[in-house]
Amino acid sequence: MQIKFSILTFLVSLPLIIASCCEHQSCPAKTDPSTSSSEQSPEPGAPLDPSIRQSLVRINSTIQAWSASQPWDKSAPAKRRALGALLAGNRVLTTAEMAANATYIEMENADSTRRIPAKVTAIDYEANLALLEPNNGDTESFFKNLHPLTLGTSALIGDRVDVWQLEDNGMPIITEATIQSVDILSSFANGHFFLAYEAKGSMQSASNSFTVPVIRNGKLLGLLSSYDSKDQIIDIIAPEIIEAFLTDTTDGNYAGFPSLGIAITSTVDPNFRDWLKLSDDVGGIYVTKVRKGSAAQKAGIEKGDVIIDINGRPIGRLGYYTDDQYGRLYWSHLIRGSLKLGDDVRLTILREGKETIITASLERPGKRLVALHSYDQAPRYLVKGGFIFQELTATYLKAFGKDWKSKAPLNLLDVLSSPEDYEEDRNKIIFLSATIPTPATTGYEPLRNFIINKVNGQTIADIASLIEAFQQPGPDGLHTIEFTDGPPKTIYLDATLSDQVDTKLLERGIPALSRQ
Amino acid sequence: MAEQSAASPLSPLAPLQTQAVDQNIYESIVRIEAATQVPNYKEPWKAGRFSGGIGTGFIIGPNRFLTNAHVVSNARRLLITMHGSARKHPAKILHIAHDCDLALLEVDDFIPFLGLQHLPIGGVPKLESQVRVIGYPVGGNRISVTRGVVSRIDFNTYSHSRSDQHLVVQIDAAINPGNSGGPVLQDGKVVGVAFQGLRSADNTGYMIPTPVVRRFLKDIEDGNYDKYVDLGIAHFPMFNPAMQKKFGLSPTSPGVLVAAVTPDGPCDGVLQDNDILTAINDNAVDAAGNVLIDGEKVNMNEIVERKFSGDIVKLSVIREGKAMDVSCTLKPFPPSQMYAVQYGVKPRYTSFAGLVMQPLDRNLYAAHNFSNTRVRRLFTHYLDEAIFKEREDIVILTSVLSDPVNTHVSSHVGTAVETINGEKVTSLKHAHKLLHPEKTPGFFIIKCEGIERPIVVPGDKAAAASQRTETNYGITSPAYLGN
Repeated sequence: MQIKFSILTFLVSLPLIIASCCEHQSCPAKTDPSTSSSEQSPEPGAPLDPSIRQSLVRINSTIQAWSASQPWDKSAPAKRRALGALLAGNRVLTTAEMAANATYIEMENADSTRRIPAKVTAIDYEANLALLEPNNGDTESFFKNLHPLTLGTSALIGDRVDVWQLEDNGMPIITEATIQSVDILSSFANGHFFLAYEAKGSMQSASNSFTVPVIRNGKLLGLLSSYDSKDQIIDIIAPEIIEAFLTDTTDGNYAGFPSLGIAITSTVDPNFRDWLKLSDDVGGIYVTKVRKGSAAQKAGIEKGDVIIDINGRPIGRLGYYTDDQYGRLYWSHLIRGSLKLGDDVRLTILREGKETIITASLERPGKRLVALHSYDQAPRYLVKGGFIFQELTATYLKAFGKDWKSKAPLNLLDVLSSPEDYEEDRNKIIFLSATIPTPATTGYEPLRNFIINKVNGQTIADIASLIEAFQQPGPDGLHTIEFTDGPPKTIYLDATLSDQVDTKLLERGIPALSRQ
Repeated sequence: MAEQSAASPLSPLAPLQTQAVDQNIYESIVRIEAATQVPNYKEPWKAGRFSGGIGTGFIIGPNRFLTNAHVVSNARRLLITMHGSARKHPAKILHIAHDCDLALLEVDDFIPFLGLQHLPIGGVPKLESQVRVIGYPVGGNRISVTRGVVSRIDFNTYSHSRSDQHLVVQIDAAINPGNSGGPVLQDGKVVGVAFQGLRSADNTGYMIPTPVVRRFLKDIEDGNYDKYVDLGIAHFPMFNPAMQKKFGLSPTSPGVLVAAVTPDGPCDGVLQDNDILTAINDNAVDAAGNVLIDGEKVNMNEIVERKFSGDIVKLSVIREGKAMDVSCTLKPFPPSQMYAVQYGVKPRYTSFAGLVMQPLDRNLYAAHNFSNTRVRRLFTHYLDEAIFKEREDIVILTSVLSDPVNTHVSSHVGTAVETINGEKVTSLKHAHKLLHPEKTPGFFIIKCEGIERPIVVPGDKAAAASQRTETNYGITSPAYLGN
C-alpha cells in the first residue's frame, strides 16, 4: 500500500503549495514594501547571523506550461519566488518546482541590489531538486562577498533546525523548528517518494518563501518542500537525497535516482498470509506489478512474489524496515534513497512458499506508454487538416481539472491505469484531441479523444510514425484514419484539401503544424 | 367553478359551447396520489424508503386512466381523486411502460366515473400552435390550467428511464411537479401527456406526443407491454466531402453511414459497418440520418419507433458500392436494460463473509457513483463490446461490512469481481453458487478486476463470518438472486 499511504501525506501538504502559489501570483499586496514594513517589527535580542544574507540567493522564475488543448501554445506565464541555498562553485540549490517549465529564471541577492540570469544545470522532478548556475552576466560581482553553505549530515528526530527566510528588505527571518518524524514523501512529481523530515514550527509568510533552505548547526540540512500552515508542519527534503543528487551532477551528466520498477501491497491481512503460506516470523510485501523493461523484470521478479528482505534488511508486513539511524522507514528508501544507478540489490523473495535470492541491477524507470509527468517537455502533436493529434501524457489528463479522474475521457484514463493492454506495437498513445472546424473536417467536428490505430494502413506507434503515415495518402487522394475507439471506426480526409487547410492554419497563426 | 358558471350567462361573447366542454374535461382529469417504496441499492436487504407524490391522469376509456409511468413507479398504494371531489378511489396499474414513461391505471370501482367524458387522442400539434396543459401541479390542491405554444418537435431523452429517446414536443408553458401525466389539449383533443421540464430554463415544458401514446396503447392490446424495439445501430452523418467521395456519393445523395452494429442486436448480420443506409421502409434517409414524416424532418429511428417486436423492416443500403435491400426482424434486446433505470424491482445481491456483491445496472451506478475506471468501462461498453455475451451480470463488490475476517480488503470496494476460486464470474447467481459450493475449499479466492492482490477468505471461517455479519448488520436475508 505504498501508493495509498503516501498519497495521503501528499494531499495533506498540498494546500500549502496552492496557497503559496496564489500568494505570489495574485496578491501583489504581499510584495508591496509598505505592507511588509508594517509587519516587520524589530525583535531586540534576536540573534542575527550575518552569514544568512550571504548564503541565500533569491530565485525569481517565470513558469509557463504548455497548453493541453492547443499544444503549440504556452499558457499564460506565472511568477514564482523562492530562496535557494548557495553552494560552492557559484551553484544554487532549489526545488524542481521552481525550475520545472521555467521560461526564465534569475538569481537575486539578499538585499535585492544585484540580479543575474540563471540556467538549470541539473533537475530531478522526482526528488524535487534543481541546481542553478549563472547564465552569462557579471558572475564575479554577483557572487562577490557571498559565502556558500556546505551540506550537513542527517538529523535525528528531536533535532532543532532553523528555517531561513528573508524579508523584502533583506532582513533575515529565522524560524526554529523541531524534527518530529522521518518519512518518505512525494513532494512534486506524483508517485515518487523520497526521504523527508517533518518538522514542527510556526512559519510566517514572507516574500520568496516558495521553497527555502533549512539549516542545522550552520550547515544546509535540506530544502523546505511544503508547509502546512494549519498543522504547522514543515516538510524538508533530506540531506541524503540532496547529496546523492549533487554527486550525480558532478560529471555534468545528470542520470537520476534508481528504481526497481515494481508495485506492491502489504501482507498484513492474516488470511492473505495464510494463503501465501507466510509464517509468523517473516513480514513481506506482495508484488502486484512488475513494470515492463524494469530492473525487477530483468532480474526475474514476478507478480505474486513476496519480498521479505532487501540487502539484509527484513521487510515488515506493512513494508517498513528498521533503519539504523531513523528507525521505521518504508522499504523504497532502501532502493531509491540508499543506492545509485548500476548498484546491485539483493532481494530475498518467497515464491509459492519457497525462498529464493534475486539480485537486481538498478536502473532508471523505463519509458512509460503514458508519461506520468512531462515537465519541460513540449507536447508532441500534429495538426492535419484541422484534426489535432497528440501523444497522450498524464499532464493532458490532469488538465481536465481537480476532478480529472472522473472528468477526463474514460478511454484515455483506462490507458493510464492499464497501459499493459495497449502496449503492443506502440511506444506512445496517439489520439485525436480535438477537431478544428475547417473545410476538410466538415461533419467531423464532434470527434475527439479517440485513440488512433492506423493511418493510411500504417500502425501508429508515436507522432513520428503518424507524420510519416500522412505522407502517403491512398491513390484516391484520401487519408484513411482508423480509430481504436469509435464509432465511427474509420474516417477519411481529403489529402489535397487538408494540405491547403494546413497552409491556411499556418497563416492564421498556428506556429508549426507538428512537434516531434 | 362557481365563478365560471356565474360568468357564462353574463358574457355573451364567449362561446357557451367551449365552456361546457371545459367543464367536462376538468372532471375527466384526475389527481393521482402515490405512496411509494423506493428500493435501497446501497443496502439492498433493507426495505427501502417510504415516500410518495402527486401526479395527474385522465380518462381515455372505460376504467382506463392514462398517466406517466414515473407518477406511479414503485407505488404501493394509488388513490385517484376527481376534480372537485373529496373522495379517494383506490386504483392499480394495468400496464406500465418505463421506456416511454406512460402507464395505464384502473380504479377498483368505476361507477362514480361513469358518464365522464373520455378524452379523445388527437394528432401532433403544429409548431407555434397553442395548447393547454391541465393538471395538479405544486402550489395548490386544485386543478391548474396553463397555456403555451408548441416551440419544438424533436427526438429527445426520456428522463424517467434515462436511456430511451423518443419524439418529444416542447412547449413554452412551464410543466411543474404534479403536472406529470396530465393532458395537453388542443381543440378539445389530447395532443400530448405532460411529463418533464427543464431545470436550467424557465417556461420550458415537454410532453409525450400522441404517436408515442398510440404506440403504447397498441402495444398493450395483447395484454402485455413488449417494450420499444430499435435497430441497434450507430450512425454517423455523411457530411464530409472526403467521406462522400470514398463512398461514391454526391453532396445531395441520400444515405447515412452505419458506424456500428450492436452485436446480437436486430441488425447483427443484416447491416455492416460502412454500409450506407439510404432508406428505411422506402422512406429516404438523408445524410444526417433524418427522414420525412408528416411533413417534419425527424430522426430515422422514428420509423422503427412506431413498430413492434416481430415487425420486419426493409433497409436499403449501399454496400461496397452496390445498392441492395436487406430486411431485419425487430426484437427486444434485453442486455440494453443495463442502461435503463429499473422500477418496481427488488434489488438483487448476495452477501458472503461481509462482502456484499450486486449486479451492475443504472440503479446501482447511481447509488454508488463508481469511480473505478474498469467498472466505468465495463458499464459503458457492455453492449458495443458484446460483454453481455460472456457476462450476464457485471458483479460488483459494493461494500465490505467490517468483520475480523475481512478487515484488510476495504480497498477492493467498488471494483468488479472477476474470478472466484479461479472461475470467471458470469452472473450474480454464478457468483453466489461459487461462494457456496458443495464442498468448502481451503480458501475462497476472490479476484477483482484491476487489483492484483486477491481477497482471501479461509473456507473454515467463511460460514461463521457470514452468520456474524448478517446478525451484526441486520441482513435479514443473505441473498436475493431474483426470480
